[in-house]
Amino acid sequence: MASALERRYKLALVVDDSVMQCKVLSVLLKEEGYRVFTANDGARGVEMYIKYQPDLVLMDINMPVMDGYEAARQIKALSKHTLAPLIFITSIDTDQAFIDSIEAGGDGILVRPFSPEVFKAKIKSIQRISDLYIQVKSLQQAQQKDAELAEQLMSGVIESRNFALDRIGIVKKAAELFSGDIQLTAQCPNGDVNVLLGDFTGHGLRSSIGAIPLAETFRVMTRKGFSLFEIISQFNSQLYDLLPSDLFLAATFISVSSQDSTAYIFNAGLPDTYIYSDEGEVSHKLGSSHPPLGVLESLLPGSQLRVVYIKDSDRILTLSDGIIEARNADGEMYGIERFEQAAELGFRNGAVTDTIVADLESFCEGTLQEDDISLIDIPCNGWEPSLSVAHSTVASVSDVEFQEIKQTGASWSWKLVLIGDKLAKVNPIPMAMSYLHEIEGNSEQWQNLYTILTELFINALDHGVLGLSSDLKKEAEGFALYFQEREERLKQLAVGSVEIMLNFVRAEAGDEVVIEVKDSGNGFDFEKVQEKLQETSELSLSGRGIQLVSKLCNGLYYKDKGTHVIAKYAVN
Amino acid sequence: MTVKKITSDSGKDVTISIEDRFDFSLHQLFRDSYADSTASGSKFTLDLSKTSYMDSSALGMILLLKDHAEKISGSVTISKPSEPVAKILEIAQFNRLLKIEK
Repeated sequence: MASALERRYKLALVVDDSVMQCKVLSVLLKEEGYRVFTANDGARGVEMYIKYQPDLVLMDINMPVMDGYEAARQIKALSKHTLAPLIFITSIDTDQAFIDSIEAGGDGILVRPFSPEVFKAKIKSIQRISDLYIQVKSLQQAQQKDAELAEQLMSGVIESRNFALDRIGIVKKAAELFSGDIQLTAQCPNGDVNVLLGDFTGHGLRSSIGAIPLAETFRVMTRKGFSLFEIISQFNSQLYDLLPSDLFLAATFISVSSQDSTAYIFNAGLPDTYIYSDEGEVSHKLGSSHPPLGVLESLLPGSQLRVVYIKDSDRILTLSDGIIEARNADGEMYGIERFEQAAELGFRNGAVTDTIVADLESFCEGTLQEDDISLIDIPCNGWEPSLSVAHSTVASVSDVEFQEIKQTGASWSWKLVLIGDKLAKVNPIPMAMSYLHEIEGNSEQWQNLYTILTELFINALDHGVLGLSSDLKKEAEGFALYFQEREERLKQLAVGSVEIMLNFVRAEAGDEVVIEVKDSGNGFDFEKVQEKLQETSELSLSGRGIQLVSKLCNGLYYKDKGTHVIAKYAVN
Repeated sequence: MTVKKITSDSGKDVTISIEDRFDFSLHQLFRDSYADSTASGSKFTLDLSKTSYMDSSALGMILLLKDHAEKISGSVTISKPSEPVAKILEIAQFNRLLKIEK
């Protein structure tokens, strides 16, 4: 049987023990365009209702087997989600009959005697209400379908393209169909991982709409090799431009480099981010240091990433306030302490997110979830470049005359010189990489070039121009100091320069990319570095960058007291 | 859950206090409480001493009030936030956006 929403004609059911009355009402209803079924007692009326799902029911009160009130109650119980108007037709003209009719679920009462005109007017008015109901119902259904589709697209765009979902534990429980929380992960060209946990103001569609452009920005900028800080600045201005004042994003950004044993963290308006040691102890708590993104036109002056030295066995845990503020039936909040206890337990039994979620669920015991719940657990090991290329020979470092490039001739070259304060503001690596991608197309092996470029540029800037000693980084405590000092010196940078040149050389023996980096610094004792590189087993915190570069290159040469470095990379 | 407003005789000192929960359900009430205070240089004091809880949409509403105040060359001060509210303001680092009097 077609449902009331789908069929074109209207069906009416008349329930009256008087065959005569049934006939009279049927004639009037047919004149109004109804098809009519009749029943002569309440029980039969209920059966007919189930069978035909009519649009309108006319019900007598006093009938054998089952009276009209009982039949009405049963019919209304069956039609909770539809509005089939039910009108009592009776000759009992008392207040009580009227009250009982409405209590039994009737939508109206018509007392005999009445003229055909009055009857028809009553039917029309009741039908108008039920048409309205049907309209609302179908709008609601359409909206629900649209919302489901939008949600599907949204999670398709946002979460399904996340990186390393097998290694990063992500929990997301939305309070509504749309979650205002956003979780993104992406891989940097040098193998580092970038993670974002964000919480938009409020929840539902209104707050999740901002997530789509952000997801794209996050992925593209990460892939192109922009630094985490550049990504955060871009997020802030994008959100400031896109969203109204009262809508913003509280977020924590995390970048983990296993190669450098470093985590970079920026917390703008979310609860503390935790770093756990393998014993399950909290080694760092990183609190919010900036208002949520999208509130201010640009990031506050002096904003910077927190740099933390990490071990391979460490884990980073970040969360939105939905967990802390989740309430149980007594209105009590889950709170930081319960969360920390569950996390510690989770670290000890090796199932961090599962343990926390189970503990939270048993605390809340099925109370309605008010806010979105998010949790991300990131292991600190294994985020490093894929060294699958064949350049495993450790190149010798020597001051050779480097005439061959000029003789062979580059098929193309790109050069950028950054001077003074521009050095502190401009990141040349994404530009260089973008030229490479534009001219030579996408290739997995450019990841290695990104690593080489980054390491050589950072060396030239940090040790050459800024004159920072990598000795500082030899110990874990000095690590943070180093970055603090770097930040200070960058701020005051007025003179000095770094020149970067990319040469793409085509040769019969195989194509080659030659990278040259020159800095205005005083140089260094590169022979000592050479000695260090021989001791490949050494695992100090400093000097590993150059060790990595020499593994990736098939030639690494220093000139001019170490202020000029040339790296040759064979293209496969 | 109420929004109370006291305006000085000059019409330039406006104190808005929020009792109980400060969340999205107060959106309209809160906006109505300051919308007609348009005297240039108005000083808005948001008394959160009796606020038991505040969510992120309340932070958004405070930013709207700040926008309104700035448009009429006025200012907003948050006064005596209760402990749970102070915690939320701290996480959101609102002390860097407007004045908070303990």
